[in-house]
Amino acid sequence: MSAVRGEGTPWRAALPFARIGFLNMLAFRARYYVGVLTYLFNVAVYYFIWRAVFRQGGSVAGMTLEDMVTYVAVGWAIRSFYFNEIDRELGTQVQEGKLAMNLIRPVDFQTVMIADAAGQSAFRAVLFTIPIAIVLALVFPLKPPASPLAALLFLVSATLSFFLVAALNFLVGLVAIRSKSILGILRAKYLVFELLSGLLIPTTLFPQPLRSILFASPFPHINFTPAALYLGQAAGTRALGLLALQAGWTAGLLALGQYAWRRSRRRITIQGG
Amino acid sequence: MTEPIVRVERLTKVFRSYRREEGLRAALKSLVRRKSSEVAAVADVTFTIGRGEMVGYIGANGAGKSTTIKMLTGILTPTSGDVVGNGFVPWRDRTRYVATIGVVFGQRTQLWWDIAVVESFRLLKEIYGLSEAEYRERMALFDKVLGLGAYLHQPVRKLSLGERMRCDLAASLLHRPPLLFLDEPTIGLDIVAKANVREFLEEINRQEGTTVLLTTHDLADIETLCRRVIVIDHGKLLFDGALDELRDRILPITSIVFDVKRAPDARDLEWNGRPIREVGLHRYRLDLDRREAAPATAVKEIVNRFDVSDLKIEEPEIEAVVKRIYQEGIS
Ligand SMILES: Nc1ncnc2c1ncn2[C@@H]1O[C@H](COP(=O)(O)OP(=O)(O)O)[C@@H](O)[C@H]1O
Ligand SMILES: [Mg+2]
Repeated sequence: MSAVRGEGTPWRAALPFARIGFLNMLAFRARYYVGVLTYLFNVAVYYFIWRAVFRQGGSVAGMTLEDMVTYVAVGWAIRSFYFNEIDRELGTQVQEGKLAMNLIRPVDFQTVMIADAAGQSAFRAVLFTIPIAIVLALVFPLKPPASPLAALLFLVSATLSFFLVAALNFLVGLVAIRSKSILGILRAKYLVFELLSGLLIPTTLFPQPLRSILFASPFPHINFTPAALYLGQAAGTRALGLLALQAGWTAGLLALGQYAWRRSRRRITIQGG
Repeated sequence: MTEPIVRVERLTKVFRSYRREEGLRAALKSLVRRKSSEVAAVADVTFTIGRGEMVGYIGANGAGKSTTIKMLTGILTPTSGDVVGNGFVPWRDRTRYVATIGVVFGQRTQLWWDIAVVESFRLLKEIYGLSEAEYRERMALFDKVLGLGAYLHQPVRKLSLGERMRCDLAASLLHRPPLLFLDEPTIGLDIVAKANVREFLEEINRQEGTTVLLTTHDLADIETLCRRVIVIDHGKLLFDGALDELRDRILPITSIVFDVKRAPDARDLEWNGRPIREVGLHRYRLDLDRREAAPATAVKEIVNRFDVSDLKIEEPEIEAVVKRIYQEGIS
């Protein structure tokens, strides 16, 4: 019977969801063009801050002004790629009862959410990240990747960043729907993520023991790890170790998301209808 | 009877809701002890559905129809009780189970709002693993019976409710599920669209033997589609049986209304201890309890006794039957 055939093949099921995510972005593209300017503005702000800090020249934690500006620009560029709103989407789906529509299809819920976000990210990579990167490179004095290998490791790491953020957002969404103030939690999350991920300040600049604690958490792998690989701050086995750690966190948090979802399922009641 | 396709046993769902209290003092108090109330949306419901049946699931607003459907489709986990559908426990084997069923909630759509309908169908084709040929054949059928082709390239938000419902029905049946759940599939539709939906369901049931459980407020849906109805109220199963049986049980009254040419003798206005009432100019009515007397016997007697110019037999409308159930329950 044809009906049973579609079961449990996550990848074949995931790709069409990514396609839908892409098409949905296409339907609303105008809204995202404004975003290019926002990113440009953010990088400019940090550029001037760091230029003031480096007025005397020299380096901070082994980074020159050029390194620092490149770090910030690379960070914001990949943020435009890995960014997703799975947490908010999960919240709305539960509140508005749309979750039911995802549960009547023979696909794993986490897979669907992440695939949809991946489609959006693919869209942003083409129409958002690349233009941003070009504009940034024209406006600010940026360094190229440290080596071809560094460039490759950076690309792998940036892709992993997407899955890491997706896994984290899925978990945040599951926590948020248990509380009364979903939006409050999500707002707090942005602050925490931006600070701890190394987007605003390189994680290596944090004082001890905060730095060690941070490096024992998944957060620096969102932004610090790919940016550090780009700059060649970690090379050889250290680079691979960093990448392995990032992959490990990603896999672990995805698995935790599966577990948490199974646990929440029983408690989630779906309104409406 | 063959093995049932759906088996529901002592199904119960209790919702606990926390009320938000008005006023500061109540709010402070609720910090310490939140007032919660429990609602048994579905309570101890048991029934089975045989392969190929079309069953109407009816009840007043808030009776627990949607909650039942949600448990039967694996969306909600029951508080207690068992369900087996197509050989699966819906909430436990959800992904495998839902590959074998179709679901439509009339109040919402499973299609993507902002993109062309056909994109939603392409996605469903992939997740159900249909071949291109199977997909084409299915879409051709939907186009023939539902006229789907006309709005396949429009986003859902631009469709009328009736068009959207046709799309949602088609989407739920794309993978030829043997079991279909419909929660108010005709809500908000105009008469033509309603008729269209009913015809389509009849056709699918006849051609493919699809088993259907549907909730509705429109009793015409039930009368055209379902031989069997299940009635629930306040979460409890009140009745499960044939529509005619429901009518007999709730309003077992048949009225014989007749016109006479000459005014009858007052002594004749009675039959077997039941009054024959004057209800209009030369028009009389006898209300019979079908369980006590066969209407045919009464008709014969009336024709003999009076100079009858016209006579008709009135059965209670199913509408009246259900209204009565909602108001007074089933004794
Ligand atoms: N998620 C929920 N949380 C709390 N109560 C609910 C929830 N869903 C439904 N109910 C309550 O359960 C009862 C049955 O609801 P429902 O199954 O939607 O009824 P119907 O579909 O027959 O109109 C109602 O009293 C409703 O308020
Ligand atoms: Mg309902």
